[in-house]
Amino acid sequence: MTDGAYVELHASSAFSFLEGASQPDVLIERASEIDMPAIALADRNGLYGAARFHTAAKRKGLKAHIGAEIAVSSFGSRLTPPAWLPHKHKPEPPRVTLLCTSQTGYQNLCQLVTRFKMRERKKTEGAATLEDLEEFSDGLICFTGGDEGPLAAALARPNGPDEARQTVDRLGAIYGHGNLYVELQRHQLREQESRNQAALDIAANLGLPVIATNGVRYAKAKDRELLDVLTAIRHKTTLDRAGRLLTPNSMRYLRNAREMAALFADIPEAIANTRRVSDRLDFALNDLGYEFPRYPVPDGEPMDEFLAKRVEEGVRKRYGSQAKRHLLDKARAQVKHELALIRKLGFAGYFLIVWDIIRYCQQHGILVQGRGSAANSAVCYALEITAVDPVGMELLFERFLSENRGEWPDIDLDLPSGDQREQVIQRIYERYGAHGAAMTANVITYRGRSAAREVGKALGFEEETVARLSGLVGHWEWRGANDTMERHFEQANLDMRHPKIARYLELCGRMLDIPRHLGQHSGGMVICAGMLNRVVPIERASMPGRAVIQWDKEDCADMGLIKVDLLGLGMMAALQDCVELIPRHYKKEIDLAALPEDADVYASLCKADTVGLFQVESRAQMASLPHNAPVRFYDLVVQVAIIRPGPIVGKMMHPYMRRRQGKEEITYPHPSLEPVLKRTLGVPLFQEQLLRMAMTVASFTGAEAEELRRAVGMRRSMQRMKDLEGRLRAGMTANGIGPEAQDSIVQGISSFAMYGFPESHAASFALIAYASAYLKFYYLAAFTCALLNNQPMGFYSPAVLVDDARRHGLRVHPIDINRSDWLCTVEREADGSQSLRLGLNYVRGLRKSSAEALLAARNQDGPFRSVDDLALRVPALNRSEQTALARVGALNWLEGVKDRRDALWQMEEAGRPVGPLLRSVKTDGINLHRQTPLRRMSTEERLVADFAGVGVTTGPHPMTYHRSTLRGRSVRTAAELAGQRRGQIVRVAGYVIARQRPGTAKGFVFLSLWDETGIANIIIAPDDFERNRIVATNCRLLQIEGPLQIEGGVIHVKARHIVPLEVSKVEIRSHNFH
Amino acid sequence: MTGELYACVRAAEFPAQALLRLRPDLQGEAVAILEGRPPLETICSTDTGAYRKGAVHSMTRVEAEAIAGLRLHPRSLENEASARAVLLEALGHFSPRIEDASTGTVSVGVLDIFGMEKLFGTPEAIAQRIRTALKAAGFNASIAISANFHAARLKAAFTRGIAVIPQGNEADALAQLPVKALELPQDQAETFASWGIRSLGELAALRESDLVTRLGADAQGWRELALGVRAHVFRPVVPAFQLAESCEFEMPVEQIESLLFVSARMIDCLVARATGRALALAVLSAHMKLENGQEHQCSIRPALPSTDRKFLLKLLQLEIAAHPPPSAVMALTLSAEAGQTSKVQLGLFAPPTPEPSKLDVTLARLKALVGADRVGSPVLDDTNRAGSFQIKAFAPNEKDVTSNAPYPRIALRRMRPPLPVRVEVQDMRPIFFRDRTTHYAIDTAFGPWRTSGCWWTVAGWGAEEWDVLATSETGELMACLLACDRTRTAWRLEAIYD
Repeated sequence: MTDGAYVELHASSAFSFLEGASQPDVLIERASEIDMPAIALADRNGLYGAARFHTAAKRKGLKAHIGAEIAVSSFGSRLTPPAWLPHKHKPEPPRVTLLCTSQTGYQNLCQLVTRFKMRERKKTEGAATLEDLEEFSDGLICFTGGDEGPLAAALARPNGPDEARQTVDRLGAIYGHGNLYVELQRHQLREQESRNQAALDIAANLGLPVIATNGVRYAKAKDRELLDVLTAIRHKTTLDRAGRLLTPNSMRYLRNAREMAALFADIPEAIANTRRVSDRLDFALNDLGYEFPRYPVPDGEPMDEFLAKRVEEGVRKRYGSQAKRHLLDKARAQVKHELALIRKLGFAGYFLIVWDIIRYCQQHGILVQGRGSAANSAVCYALEITAVDPVGMELLFERFLSENRGEWPDIDLDLPSGDQREQVIQRIYERYGAHGAAMTANVITYRGRSAAREVGKALGFEEETVARLSGLVGHWEWRGANDTMERHFEQANLDMRHPKIARYLELCGRMLDIPRHLGQHSGGMVICAGMLNRVVPIERASMPGRAVIQWDKEDCADMGLIKVDLLGLGMMAALQDCVELIPRHYKKEIDLAALPEDADVYASLCKADTVGLFQVESRAQMASLPHNAPVRFYDLVVQVAIIRPGPIVGKMMHPYMRRRQGKEEITYPHPSLEPVLKRTLGVPLFQEQLLRMAMTVASFTGAEAEELRRAVGMRRSMQRMKDLEGRLRAGMTANGIGPEAQDSIVQGISSFAMYGFPESHAASFALIAYASAYLKFYYLAAFTCALLNNQPMGFYSPAVLVDDARRHGLRVHPIDINRSDWLCTVEREADGSQSLRLGLNYVRGLRKSSAEALLAARNQDGPFRSVDDLALRVPALNRSEQTALARVGALNWLEGVKDRRDALWQMEEAGRPVGPLLRSVKTDGINLHRQTPLRRMSTEERLVADFAGVGVTTGPHPMTYHRSTLRGRSVRTAAELAGQRRGQIVRVAGYVIARQRPGTAKGFVFLSLWDETGIANIIIAPDDFERNRIVATNCRLLQIEGPLQIEGGVIHVKARHIVPLEVSKVEIRSHNFH
Repeated sequence: MTGELYACVRAAEFPAQALLRLRPDLQGEAVAILEGRPPLETICSTDTGAYRKGAVHSMTRVEAEAIAGLRLHPRSLENEASARAVLLEALGHFSPRIEDASTGTVSVGVLDIFGMEKLFGTPEAIAQRIRTALKAAGFNASIAISANFHAARLKAAFTRGIAVIPQGNEADALAQLPVKALELPQDQAETFASWGIRSLGELAALRESDLVTRLGADAQGWRELALGVRAHVFRPVVPAFQLAESCEFEMPVEQIESLLFVSARMIDCLVARATGRALALAVLSAHMKLENGQEHQCSIRPALPSTDRKFLLKLLQLEIAAHPPPSAVMALTLSAEAGQTSKVQLGLFAPPTPEPSKLDVTLARLKALVGADRVGSPVLDDTNRAGSFQIKAFAPNEKDVTSNAPYPRIALRRMRPPLPVRVEVQDMRPIFFRDRTTHYAIDTAFGPWRTSGCWWTVAGWGAEEWDVLATSETGELMACLLACDRTRTAWRLEAIYD
């Protein structure tokens, strides 16, 4: 028997979520190893792994047949052990195996899955009915299934053979006798063989063909262990207790033709039929039949012409002003070029649909901005999809769209996070129908922590041990030699010598990347002309009103599905709020699209005064800002792009910074590249520059240059890269560039292309960064208010934002039930300045509905007079909410309240439920006889209450109260560090507000230590970190001693000694970057 | 004369104390007690030495092993129970009324010592004597004496040594104790924390009406506790009803009959004590001290608690016959567990079942013949391992579950134990096998049927089964099941098809 004589037509991957143990590409790999020419994937109730399966098969040159196991509720319950055997099987519907013979079959399978998935009210497995099968039967081949199938289930019933015959008859009636196969599996189990013999009888009697499969659940026999663990997880039990839920042996692996032929030596036609069926399965995922919707153009006008008119209008608007008139001709030429390509590629509909979304946002006052490579397009700029002028900035269109790329353009839209983004998503659902649009999925896979937790539970470890271990796993972006699973196990005090623990560790490693369940992508939305449910199954998401397709973002890209990313950006929401707050409180209109270039704003950026700003507030950004000293918009574009893993790893950051500071001469790899690299001082930073370099030195076309960029970006395309390098060198030779310069250019391209950042994307972000800097500088109250109302976002906690704003002169008022709204508000001071009032949303434990009831009562009958008045008028406030308000001082301004403790004391009495007799009795005035016996809160108690109850204090910084003590210990403030000598040993102390271990920093850890004067930057070397791991990781208040590093105005303390500081119990959360 | 005076005796770290009192060799060592299932044990109790070395509760075994010189011992609840009994017995010398207020790893006994001054002296003297007595029994305890039960209990928890609270000074004596001493519900503890109330003195200073209006009626009780005036209904420990009779022999007894002669009298006494409380004997255990220094034990457990002396004696006789002591008996203790006397109501139309006492005797005879672990009802395990079962106590009333298999099954006679055979294999299929006497040629072999499991434990197993039709040298045909243990490559004849 040749190896190609058997094709496995019933394999389930790990995308049968917890019922398969191998990834689709691993199955393909194994099929390739055993010279199987084709293989079919049939995952449970979906096509979740189909795209990856197809892609992997394409790489290996195998045929990937697509199908699914479909649960059918009409067939009762699937086979379980008989009642006289103890077992824990729960009733589940049996599953038939369906394989697609044609595009129609595939579309039917997608619709079938969508039908029963969407019939459910919430996210669940669901099951089809016979009517569903009948409706969507064309183009599908049906197998009766293995032990999970309806035939096995029927055979086990009291009237087994008759019921089994009826079941097969019904399937035959649905799919036709030529499309129904009686499936035989031989896992070397006695009971299964007994069923096989009965199935053979039925097949012979009904004249049906038989087919052999192995009901594959994993690629190799060893993977059965993983499947058993997944089974235990699926049934929420342990391996010890799972009993008959587990597979009885390891035979459901992908067997080669020889093994299968030996197994079915007595039924050779069952093997031969696998090849015949495989030959009939013509369908491959290449041919999805997907089409992007056409834009409904009025009066039947061609879409290209309609688009050209809208673009022309946009060009006139964008470039018609005096300031930009000089670019008008150039812009017209550019859009002409772009429109020609768009026409040629047939993308006009796509641009118009995105334009339609933009228009909707504009009409509804929703701030929106395109980002990513779309900002390279003048058409996008003209259509107001993006805000960066690609003509003025000389951005390269080919980075966005090129003729040879063979894929759809990718436009990401930034929207204000929250309700407005949801509004836009719902608008798309409405416009394209429930089956015309859906969110892309996000496949949740096992990571270190979840693997440790769930494998531990399956192995029967105690909850506490599992929690301790999973708490230690997977923290930092940087993974040092000590950040292995073994190390985490040791840290959790697990004895690695114990075989059970060793097995635990091994299984955790094998669990990594196994899919756990399907989630919803944060913003990717797929839109389809006609019915998306024919292209990919759609199912309910956990979030009400949302539907997701069964593929994730990468799968969609691989399969050519077009998505629009609607990304929620906290800063966009904050800017949107500013646009509304500024006219109201400053009596000035603000146009974010036309903010002036302001020297004072750039000066503040140069000083790294960037807490709360978009993209430039991180510790690394702050450290580089004084060096780069941005003085114009393009400097900010570079600034946004340069503190990224790419430029850092590619060693571009420091040369640029040295040249920027005049410490290094500006040179170019070749004189011809000066125009390309001049803006970045001869250092290639952006992907667009790579394209231009290739175009300049080797006369590449834009499309060829883009192909080069992508080839460099993909590690696996070595051959393609070699070809392109050959062409690049040939082009350079033709242009008279010598070998040395060629080497330098090729080296330059190779080193940064993989990590390079799109200039257009940086420019889009830089626009938002500048807007945030401008608003912070000129409208601090509104900006801080907007930031606080859109938390969580950014690098810093509200406490740090408030402290920073106060240091910039903003008065911040505490929460007051008679003045605060739900959100933070801007108030006007007696001197005409603006101040900030914290909102009730900052009171931890206060429900929004209760706050709304409070505000309604206040608006209706005026301010609250007393604690009794509050308790009486707002019965919606429960006891814990009342005490929460009192504890944070929100009642301090009520009549008769002396302090927080007094408020608590009064509230405890007023808040007690009273009988119906007294409920209607209003208390007039204040009960002056009540004297609180409680002493006032101490400063420490008040701070603890503030940070525990609000997360912010409006009083002095907690460190202020300990400064004199700390001075006695020679501890300096963050601000004082600037006055110290380089190399001097200093001691600082403060709250840790951020911990980072970036992947690019070779194990160095960066801490931000916050005191009453600002933030001190701490660097911990890997060895020092290992010595102080627990203190540095867990303690919130630290005292650190070490030499001072001062470079170009940037100050760091290199930690030598790290000790916890026990001066306060205030809990301030640290932002740890994992 | 009426009045109240209580002595609260609090022995902390009781698991460690329970061990150390029986192990003088460990005195002065750093000892920690571990609880939990290996390998995930944690420290639940330490002695002073261990505490000084840094061993604390909840520390894992691996952490504890890193502490040099720390000796780790597993927790023994039996040991603690007997130690607690000794503690209470020691306290019983000072008062007949003792309330057991133990929690977790702390053993607490509160003695009603009112009126004991005449016997033992002043309260201080009583406390000192109790402490001395406990010391002699191997326990370290703190003692607080107060006219208020709760005051004594609260004070003892925060006292090292002895504290005597003069009557009327309870509030002052408790004022410095933290609020957590009251072990309040979490939300109430948080309320007091938010009020800045840290000590019982501060709590007591609040007006009762203020507290009750804010925190409800429970607050009155907490305040009374803080003031040391909370009343308490004393619940003295009822001495354990122990059914035990002992007899030491002047000469070692070798004859079972002699032993049974004495046992008969002891059973009489036990039955009489049990029937006096309307109880019967549910379990009867014989504990023998042997001439060779060993101990021997056996017990009987009738299907129903019984007061039938002859029946019990017969069961005991069979049990001792089944498990005879290996040496002559020096002392015999018969202890019994009491149970409710019960009658079985037979159904009028139900099929007759054996009389429980007769069934017990029969089962006991069977156990004597084949071993206790081989008598009962087999119950299948929830596992894929073929033939895996366990023996559970015989339960004649259980309904018989019959198979509702849709098609006839062949009966299989399992060999117990399976018969080891030698198998000759060709092309991975068995072709001959031989038991001790006969050589079989395999005509047809179906298989292999493969099962495996428990790969995550050391008890992992894997089996390969063949259904074979074989012919012996004499031409005898046999259909049987051969199995190969794949972990040891050992072949066995598992069963014969009927």
